[in-house]
Amino acid sequence: MTRRVAVTGVGVVAPGGIGAPAFWDMLANGRTATRGITLFDPAPFRSRIAAECDFDPVAHGLDDELIARSDRYIQFALVAAREALGDAGLDLEKEDPWRIGVSLGTAVGGTTRLEHDYVAVSGSGARWDVDHQPAGRHLERAFSPSTLASAVAEEVGAHGPVQTVSTGCTSGLDAIGYAFHSIEEGRVDVCVAGASDTPITPITVACFDAIKATSANNDDPEHASRPFDARRDGFVMGEGGAVLVLEELEHARARGATVLCEISGYATFGNAYHMTGLTSEGIEMAEAINTALAHSRIDPTGIDYVNAHGSGTKQNDRHETAAVKRALGTHAYKVPMSSIKSMVGHSLGAIGAIEIAACVLALKHQTVPPTANYETADPECDLDYVPRTARPLKLRSVLSVGSGFGGFQSAVALTRPGGRTP
Amino acid sequence: MSNPAHRRSVITGIGVVAPNGTGTGAFWKQTQEGVSVLDRVTREGCENLPLRVAGEVRDFDPVASVEERYLVQTDRFTHYAMAAADLALDDARLGRADYEDTPFKVGVVTAAGSGGGEFGQRELERLWGQGPRFVGPYQSIAWFYAASTGQISIRGGFKGPCAVVASDEAGGLDALMHAARSVRGGTDALVVGAAEAPLAPYSVVCQLGYEDLSACDEPTRAYRPFTADACGFVPAEGGAMLVVEEETAARGRGARVRAEIAGHCATFTGAGRWEQSRQGLARAVEGALREAGCAPEEIDVVFADALGVPAADRAEAGALADALGAHGRRVPVTAPKTGIGRAYCGAPVLDVSAAVLAMEHGLIPPTPNVFEVCHDLDLVTVRARPAQLRTALVLSRGLMGSNSALVLRRPTDTPD
Amino acid sequence: MPDRLTYEELAALMKSGAGLTVDASEMESSPGSAFEEYGLDSLGLLGIVAALENRYGRPLPADADRCKTPGEFLDLVNTTLTGV
Repeated sequence: MTRRVAVTGVGVVAPGGIGAPAFWDMLANGRTATRGITLFDPAPFRSRIAAECDFDPVAHGLDDELIARSDRYIQFALVAAREALGDAGLDLEKEDPWRIGVSLGTAVGGTTRLEHDYVAVSGSGARWDVDHQPAGRHLERAFSPSTLASAVAEEVGAHGPVQTVSTGCTSGLDAIGYAFHSIEEGRVDVCVAGASDTPITPITVACFDAIKATSANNDDPEHASRPFDARRDGFVMGEGGAVLVLEELEHARARGATVLCEISGYATFGNAYHMTGLTSEGIEMAEAINTALAHSRIDPTGIDYVNAHGSGTKQNDRHETAAVKRALGTHAYKVPMSSIKSMVGHSLGAIGAIEIAACVLALKHQTVPPTANYETADPECDLDYVPRTARPLKLRSVLSVGSGFGGFQSAVALTRPGGRTP
Repeated sequence: MSNPAHRRSVITGIGVVAPNGTGTGAFWKQTQEGVSVLDRVTREGCENLPLRVAGEVRDFDPVASVEERYLVQTDRFTHYAMAAADLALDDARLGRADYEDTPFKVGVVTAAGSGGGEFGQRELERLWGQGPRFVGPYQSIAWFYAASTGQISIRGGFKGPCAVVASDEAGGLDALMHAARSVRGGTDALVVGAAEAPLAPYSVVCQLGYEDLSACDEPTRAYRPFTADACGFVPAEGGAMLVVEEETAARGRGARVRAEIAGHCATFTGAGRWEQSRQGLARAVEGALREAGCAPEEIDVVFADALGVPAADRAEAGALADALGAHGRRVPVTAPKTGIGRAYCGAPVLDVSAAVLAMEHGLIPPTPNVFEVCHDLDLVTVRARPAQLRTALVLSRGLMGSNSALVLRRPTDTPD
Repeated sequence: MPDRLTYEELAALMKSGAGLTVDASEMESSPGSAFEEYGLDSLGLLGIVAALENRYGRPLPADADRCKTPGEFLDLVNTTLTGV
């Protein structure tokens, strides 16, 4: 008997919308949260724009000690986890903590604090033999990426397997994928899964400047993230976090929980091609899509919406368009495919989880979020990208895909009850 | 594809880059002789930091081990991982011809505890010392935790499931669990393990926050778990990569089956809560035994986590008693990592490597620098102990609260 | 400061920036061979462009990092350096 995996709760911290309702309102109205960077002075940088979260940890209920211990990305994860647990109505007192796991993704982890304290101990980059004295408290928690899952597990009271996943920009998809596996295989009954990243820091902005991956459309930040549009010039960095409560389906039903949807399939493969480069064929992403669909027992024609990686770089959008055509065949031309990065930017390791949260909400609201800023067709990207305006649509099964530095290609399928191919 | 339950994972290749040697030959010789290579930290820029003792990888020639371009484009932790992956693939005699028609059947899993700290510090220095235009293009792919999995996948042409557990120490065992799950899901082979390089100056500064880090400046006294002198742990570089294969596929191509990954379980009991880790570790052991279909009495040797912190050591001894009953006091326990230090996620993979070699040689390696044990354990000290070993238990706990246990078994066709 | 980039200097940049050992005279004798053949990827070329911009204190044309061959790259750089 296969164990099925239900989504029973969602929590989101995203640019332009903290909390799942505000996040969905933003997507459904096609608003963009990209703007000039305010988190530090971006003047010396090539790309000076980002999608930032206006986040006040105190207003979101974190106490002083938790704030001091937790880097910004962990604060996001804690707030999103609390919202997801509340949404799921999970009474942790009644659960066996040894059957609750945590699986959270991040690409760059505690970089914010690592960089901040580096400046202090090195005299602003003046010395290699750094002086430990000026280092702040809790620096070791920024150094170790496992702090992310550990901090959330302590918040939840989980005693099952707890893991931080870091596969670059597919971290969010993979963290949810690993959680899906752990429930399906019976290692846990409940898994708090998602991702968080706060990469809007000088070193991360500089490293993407160096490879010209980010948009330099500094004069028009609101319209700078233009996935699939012919005038796209790179991604716009974002930050954020999203957490889901995943449960074994019968476990959710037994406690009378509302099942938002199921995670029905997941797959990841490597392209074994280049750390940052993507082929124009999309073979490996297509393999991930087809494997996830086979796992889900969904025919390609059963997919009603594709939530794209759609970063807005020239090569990604071309690669992804080819991959979806390869995987879905002629159905690719009929299925709407959009990128919410047009609105919330690309928050590296977090975005996969934020996009899955968007898929859960799309299924709930039976509405496809749009690709904001899409205006000019690119002959190499010739699918239906849902330009600018959200679209009400009967959605049974949807797909979220992602690519990450290192060659990672991942796909997650989500299905409403009764959405599988009979 | 056969029934997932019947797709068993076996280790067919081991590649080690450790403070006591590169390659299983050198590693095993030093390990079974109980040689301690813990020494003063000599990495440039670390001289004045209050971490005095560590396990540095010194017998490693990067120029001979990885192509020149990787020396510039990747961090030391990736050099180690790539070199260890090569050694493991050679050991397993797994070459391109074996998988070039089925690249999606071969994957890569690494665990990473801190990423490319040395590379990252150099680029931070350029950014803050000179300006953003001086940050190089390889920072985007060298510092992050996924670097080693990505590079190994690309270099080898492995298109199967590629994963990264960014974890505390126990992640090294969790990576093996991921590999075993991939095998059950249809993957034929994976290159899996962890290698770390945490001794760049700024990385050391970050670790000074770990209250369990040993501040002792005498190499022979700095890391003495299970003794009254226990004063914390000594960090180390290096690690190991393994080739894990589906058993039938491995035997089909004539590979030498070294050991079966028979069971694994992970739990969590909170960062630094060593007393609670007793229950967490015991439950991990019980879960791993259950998955392996293994009775406590069948465990022939335990490779301990051996943190070297009194509360943690007490909890580990207690966990063995809780999970293995009376057998917990009789079973030989060892911690060869006291001779090389704890290489974070790499540490338990080195222990898995040592456990496989111990089973093959019928010899339990000792626990260097440890003499008077103050817990109710049969800890193997001073010299290696001959023993017939069919089943080994490897334990690992992480500073962020993870507990993990792995059961390894000799293949059934090997004579005693 | 030299106002022309030579094959020797390009080879040195490929060595320091991307860890590639390339024979400058070989590159000079077949300037149309692709960077790829020498093992230089897109990231490596971006690094060389940035290093030159830092050295000369002025930007190179936006398409400098899209040059496919050493010959094309040197022409572009040297035209820029010797230009008005």
